[in-house]
Amino acid sequence: MSGQSQRLNVVPTVTMLGVMKARLVGATRGHALLKKKSDALTVQFRQILKKIISTKESMGDVMRNSSFALTEAKYVAGDNIKHVVLESVKSASLRVRSRQDNVAGVKLPRFEHFTDHSAGDAKSDLTGLARGGQQVQSCRTAYVKAIEVLVELASLQTSFLTLDEAIKTTNRRVNALENVVKPRLENTITYIKGELDELEREDFFRLKKIQGYKKREIERREQDAKKYADNIPLKTGISMNSAHNLIFVGAEKDDDIIF
Amino acid sequence: MERFRRELDSRPPPREGGDERVGEGERRVQRDWNEREDEKPDRVDFKVLPEIRSFDHRIHREEEGEAMYGFEALTFNIHGGYLEAIVRGYRSGLLTAADYNNLCQCETLDDIKMHLSATEYGPYLQNGALISHSSSRCGSDSVSRICADWRDSGRHVLVSYIPDQKPDSDLFLCRGIAYQPMEKGAKPSPLHTTTIVEKCTLKLLDEYKHMLCQATEPLSTFLEYITYGYMIDNVVLIVTGTLHERDVQELLEKCHPLGMFDSIATLAVAQNMRELYRLVLVDTPLASYFSECITSEDLDDMNIEIMRNTLYKAYLEDFYNFCQKLGGATAEIMSDLLAFEADRRAVNITINSIGTELTRDDRRKLYSSFGLLYPYGHEELAVCEDIDQVRGAMEKYPPYQSIFAKISYGESQMLDKAFYEEEVKRLCLAFEQQFHYAVFFAYMRLKEQEIRNLMWISECVAQNQKTRIHDSVVFIF
Repeated sequence: MSGQSQRLNVVPTVTMLGVMKARLVGATRGHALLKKKSDALTVQFRQILKKIISTKESMGDVMRNSSFALTEAKYVAGDNIKHVVLESVKSASLRVRSRQDNVAGVKLPRFEHFTDHSAGDAKSDLTGLARGGQQVQSCRTAYVKAIEVLVELASLQTSFLTLDEAIKTTNRRVNALENVVKPRLENTITYIKGELDELEREDFFRLKKIQGYKKREIERREQDAKKYADNIPLKTGISMNSAHNLIFVGAEKDDDIIF
Repeated sequence: MERFRRELDSRPPPREGGDERVGEGERRVQRDWNEREDEKPDRVDFKVLPEIRSFDHRIHREEEGEAMYGFEALTFNIHGGYLEAIVRGYRSGLLTAADYNNLCQCETLDDIKMHLSATEYGPYLQNGALISHSSSRCGSDSVSRICADWRDSGRHVLVSYIPDQKPDSDLFLCRGIAYQPMEKGAKPSPLHTTTIVEKCTLKLLDEYKHMLCQATEPLSTFLEYITYGYMIDNVVLIVTGTLHERDVQELLEKCHPLGMFDSIATLAVAQNMRELYRLVLVDTPLASYFSECITSEDLDDMNIEIMRNTLYKAYLEDFYNFCQKLGGATAEIMSDLLAFEADRRAVNITINSIGTELTRDDRRKLYSSFGLLYPYGHEELAVCEDIDQVRGAMEKYPPYQSIFAKISYGESQMLDKAFYEEEVKRLCLAFEQQFHYAVFFAYMRLKEQEIRNLMWISECVAQNQKTRIHDSVVFIF
């Protein structure tokens, strides 16, 4: 990616540097947390996968047993037993409800079955009274077991899919933080630091230069002062010019002495 | 000789007509019902020893001008000979142990279909749709017309001509199965276990209709009695379905074909049980069962299963009485078979109602009032609370002792199969005697058992449970 290591466009000030540093700290902490979350989700994922495989195998067996139980019931109670049972049912007595589980921050749906006793008929206990009643009851238990296994398998599979999504999202965020956000922030910080250093250096250089000027100025004045002192001999042949210059020009040139 | 001529004259003349034979049979039954109520025939005392009972019958029937017990060979074949021959022919077409062994070795449903095509079920399991199967009485010219029609429409026709028995008519019984062959290149529909069972039941239905067409009194009434059990099941199914607001057409499709009657669809119209009884049931043969055991208030609240079993109990007792009236070998063999049925139902009701809300009095009301267990066995069974007590009650009766010896303590899964095996044994024994009607009942039940076996085998093969396949197959021969 071309823009991978670019930096943000900011004004390179000290405050900005502080802000960037805070953001970098936040990004690092977030990255660590998300990594932990991703690992936890992956562990759950593997567990669910193992359970799904074993449940599917047992489902194959259970469905086989229940179909065979139905065959036995049909053998003893007559072929019509399926229709007789179906026609005498008003509403289902075995129902499924769903609720949410929270696993490492991810909401997973879970299904569980329950028997609705108000809808269930006690009358259905007498099906096949004259022949085949026992087989019908054993067929019913076999199918109830089949439903249990199926409901469990359904919750496992939906959790599997949801977890898969969640893991993908989390990993995407982890990678983004690691490869995009943090480098960008680091680059920005480096840039700001660089700019600040440069400004400092400029300042320093300017200061040094001005100090140099000032020093030379002072030296020149000292030279001038020394030269004047040479030009005035005591009572002997000092020229009127130079005496005149001393008095009038000197009075003009003198700065005020300010303490 | 005078006696025999009188007997011949007293028979009702044969009916002409088409496929509405069954409907006419119903109306005939209606009339016979009324006749019987006028005569008030005396019920035979069941507790009397069999020899004396049949002696009473001999005297009774001699007064009416019928043949004596033991001399049925003289007169049975006049009216029943053809059908007895037919039913024995059907019986020899039942699957044997070798067939079952072959079927158990099959790997897929197609193998099963292939094996079955070599048996009597062949034409029913063809790939094309089975279009029509009819047994009708018609003149020879109409027969050829029908065949020409079928052939023109491109259907295959299997027709058998059977000249009618009656000396005063030249009618032919035309029985045909038409099926539409598959179009070229069409894929055969996938075979389901339910299809196999459906087609086999269709064959049973065809055979039954054929026999019913040809039968006269009292054999036709006897044959109709056999189907009342299915009728009860169908009525109960439609009533429950209507109570729970299901579609009528769907319900009709789920009914057993042997138990259909003309006004069955109107069961769905009735709003409550009183109307149901008044509108529909009073015209069917089931009317007496409803009035005997249930008042109209009971009908509304009564649990469906209890109603079904009460009706069935009334039906069994009615059938039993009818067979007793017929007398002779029929009465003997049928009472044995029906007694076994009643006892089996009593045991099943007891076992299945352990641990449910059914009270002891209700239980006692569902037991039939004949059979080996009546009345002392019923008393014991009514108070049983678990399987071992039932076993204790049953072991006093030698025939059932052997059944209960086959299953180990505390287990009742194999009980049904043991009962089926015992039933099949008794049904096969019915064929050992000639000149009685019990062969028809035995054949229907054996065919049912065969269909059950086929269903079991196909399901085991389809579900890949070959190890359990021998658990429940009951070999007939």
